[in-house]
Amino acid sequence: MLFEIFDPKARPRPIGIDLGTTNSLVAFVRDGRPVCVTDCNGKALLPSVVYYAEQGVVVGEPAKETAAEHPRETIVSVKRFMGRGADDAETRRLGPYEFAGADEAPNRRVVHFKVNRQVVTPVEVSAEILRALRDLAKDELRAVGPAVITVPAYFDDAQRQATKDAGRLAGLEVLRLLNEPTAAALAYGLDKKQNGLFLVYDLGGGTFDVTVLSLEDGVFQVKSTGGDSALGGDDLDRALAHALLAKAGVDEAEHASPALVRTALDEARRVKHALTDAPSAAFALAEAKGTVTRQEFEALVKPIVDRTAAPVRRALRDAGVSAADLDGVILVGGATRTPLVRRTVRELLGKEPLADIDPDQVVALGAAVQADLLAGEQLANAGEDVLLLDVVPLSLGIETMGGVVDKIIPRNTTIPTGARASFTTYADNQTGFELHVVQGERELAQDCRSLARFTLKGIPPMPAGMARLDVTFKVDADGLLHVHALEGVTRIEQSI
Amino acid sequence: MLDPFATLGLPRRFALDPKQLEGRHRELSKALHPDRYAAAGSGERRLALSKAIEVNEAHRILRDPVRRAEAVLKLSGLEAEVGETREPKPDGAFLMEVLEAREALDEAKASRSPARISSVVSDARAQHAAALGTLGAAIDGALGHAVDLESLRKAIPLLGRLRYATRLLDEAVAAEDELAGL
Repeated sequence: MLFEIFDPKARPRPIGIDLGTTNSLVAFVRDGRPVCVTDCNGKALLPSVVYYAEQGVVVGEPAKETAAEHPRETIVSVKRFMGRGADDAETRRLGPYEFAGADEAPNRRVVHFKVNRQVVTPVEVSAEILRALRDLAKDELRAVGPAVITVPAYFDDAQRQATKDAGRLAGLEVLRLLNEPTAAALAYGLDKKQNGLFLVYDLGGGTFDVTVLSLEDGVFQVKSTGGDSALGGDDLDRALAHALLAKAGVDEAEHASPALVRTALDEARRVKHALTDAPSAAFALAEAKGTVTRQEFEALVKPIVDRTAAPVRRALRDAGVSAADLDGVILVGGATRTPLVRRTVRELLGKEPLADIDPDQVVALGAAVQADLLAGEQLANAGEDVLLLDVVPLSLGIETMGGVVDKIIPRNTTIPTGARASFTTYADNQTGFELHVVQGERELAQDCRSLARFTLKGIPPMPAGMARLDVTFKVDADGLLHVHALEGVTRIEQSI
Repeated sequence: MLDPFATLGLPRRFALDPKQLEGRHRELSKALHPDRYAAAGSGERRLALSKAIEVNEAHRILRDPVRRAEAVLKLSGLEAEVGETREPKPDGAFLMEVLEAREALDEAKASRSPARISSVVSDARAQHAAALGTLGAAIDGALGHAVDLESLRKAIPLLGRLRYATRLLDEAVAAEDELAGL
C-alpha cells in the first residue's frame, strides 16, 4: 500500500518486542496477522550486541562482527546481567568484560561495565538495543506506538523492573511486560484456535523457562511456571568452547586472552549450528583445525540439557497435571533446534513438540498480538476476546527473626494480586523496623534473591510486641511488586 | 473479612465443583482484568484493579481446602473460634497418630529409599483425602436451611486434623521431590 508509506500522519502502530539474550526482534500486526520487521538485508534477528566505539555506539550485526576485536568494549548477552548485582555469581562467569569496582560504581546492586573509559549499566546497554529496534520499526511503520516487551517467566522483580526501565530509557511507552512462554502460546493459540493444555519449553540464549498453561474460552491461564534463569543455549556454546580450546591446546588459565575466549565462543556457536543438520563439523581455532562429531557434542552438552528435566517435572507437578494431560508442547528459542534438545523433550513428555512457527520469532509475534489487543486494535479475525492471566513466578516474602522467610505471596499466584502480613517489634523501645523483601523458594532469606531493604523509622518507644506493622504486597499485571508498610499506632508509612 | 464465596458468586459451603470455580474466576477476570481498562479513566482503572485483586484472592482461598473451610466457618459465625492459635489442641489419640506418621516419614527420609518414601506419600495422601471427606461432611451437614452452630462447631477439630494431614502430605511430597532431584 504505497499511499500508506508516504502518509506523513501515519497512525502510531503498537509493537511487540522480544528482547532476547542472543537476538532481539520487533513485530507488529499487519492485516490481522503478526509479522516480524526485517532489516534492509531481510533479516528479522537483531543480534543483542552493543559495541561502545570511540565514535559512538554500534548495535547489532556490525557490533557482533567486530566483537572479537573489541572484546571488552562489546557487550554480548547483556540480558544475563539485567537486575543483577555486581557481586552476583553470574557476573563472574566466563566472559571478557571489565567491571567497575566499588570506587567507580558504589551501587553494588547493579552491574557496571567499563567500556571505552565510560561506565554503563545493563539497563543502558539494553536501551541501546531497544532504540535500534524502535528505529527498525520506524522505517517500516513511520510512526511507532506503545510496546509490549517480553521477559522470561522466571525473571524476578529486579530483572523485570530493569527491563521496564530500559524501555522507558529508549523512549518507548511500555504497555506491558509479557512472559515469553505466554507470548509464544498466544502466537500459537490464535493461529490454531484450539482449547487445551499446553507446555511451553523455552530454551533461549541465556534462560530456560517452562510454563504450563491452559487456553479455554479465550482465556490463557498460566497454571505454573518454572525454569532456570542461568541456563541457556550460551551454556552449550560455553561447554563446546572449553572443549575447542582444549583441542587447540590452549591452557585457558594461562593463555586465554579475552579476544581468544570470544573467538572460541563464536566458533563454538557456529559449530553447534552446523551440527543441527550434519553429523560432524569442522572447526578452526588458534591455528588448530579439527572436527567435532554430533555424538561428541551431545556427550558434552547432555548434562546441561538434562538440567531442563527437573523444572519441567516441577512445573507439571505445580500445575497438578501429568505429561499425558498435555494437548501440545511448544518449542521456543533457537537452542531448541538442537536435535538433542528435541529428543530430550520428546522422551520427557512422550510427545512430538510443535515447531511450525519459527522458534526464534514466535515470542515477538505473540508480543505483537498482545500489543495490538492492549492498544485496542482488535485483530480483524481472531482476537475477539483474548485475555492472559499470568502468575507470580517465584514466591515473595519478608525476612523475619532468625533469617527465616515469611512467604507473603506464594509462587504461581494469579496476578494482579495483593496480600498483607502483620509484624511487630521484638525488642522493648525499638524505634526502627528493618524490612527485607526477598524472592525465592528457599527457607532462609540468605538463599533467596534480595529485592529491597528499607527501614521504617520513628516508631515511638513501646514495649516489645506493641507496635503493629502492616506490610502490603501488591503485584501488578506486569508482575512488578509494590510494597507498602504502615505502623498501626503512629500511622508512619513507607512505600517502595 | 473478604467473603470469597460472594466475590465469586458461589454458594457458601465446603463442597465445590472445581470446574465451576475456574469458570467463575475466568468470567470475572475477563470483566475486570487491567487489560480491559487500558483506555479507561484512572478512577475506574483503580477500582477494577482492586476488584481483580479481590477476585484472585478469593480464587486462591477457595482452591485451598484448609482456607476454604476456615472461610465457611468464620463467615457462618465462628470467626472468634477459628484459626490455628484459637482452636483447641488435638486430643491425645490423634497426637499419637501424628507422631507415628511423622516418625515413619523421618525413617523413610533417612533410608533414602524411593519405594519407602512413595509408600509414606500414598499413606499421607489417603489420610488427607479421609480428613477432607469427614470435614466436608461435617461442615456441609451443619449448613442446612439454617446454620446449626452447635454441629458446625464440631467441625473445628476436624479442621485441625486436615491441617496436620496437609502438612504431613506436603512434607512427604517435598521429601519425594528432593530424592528425585526436583
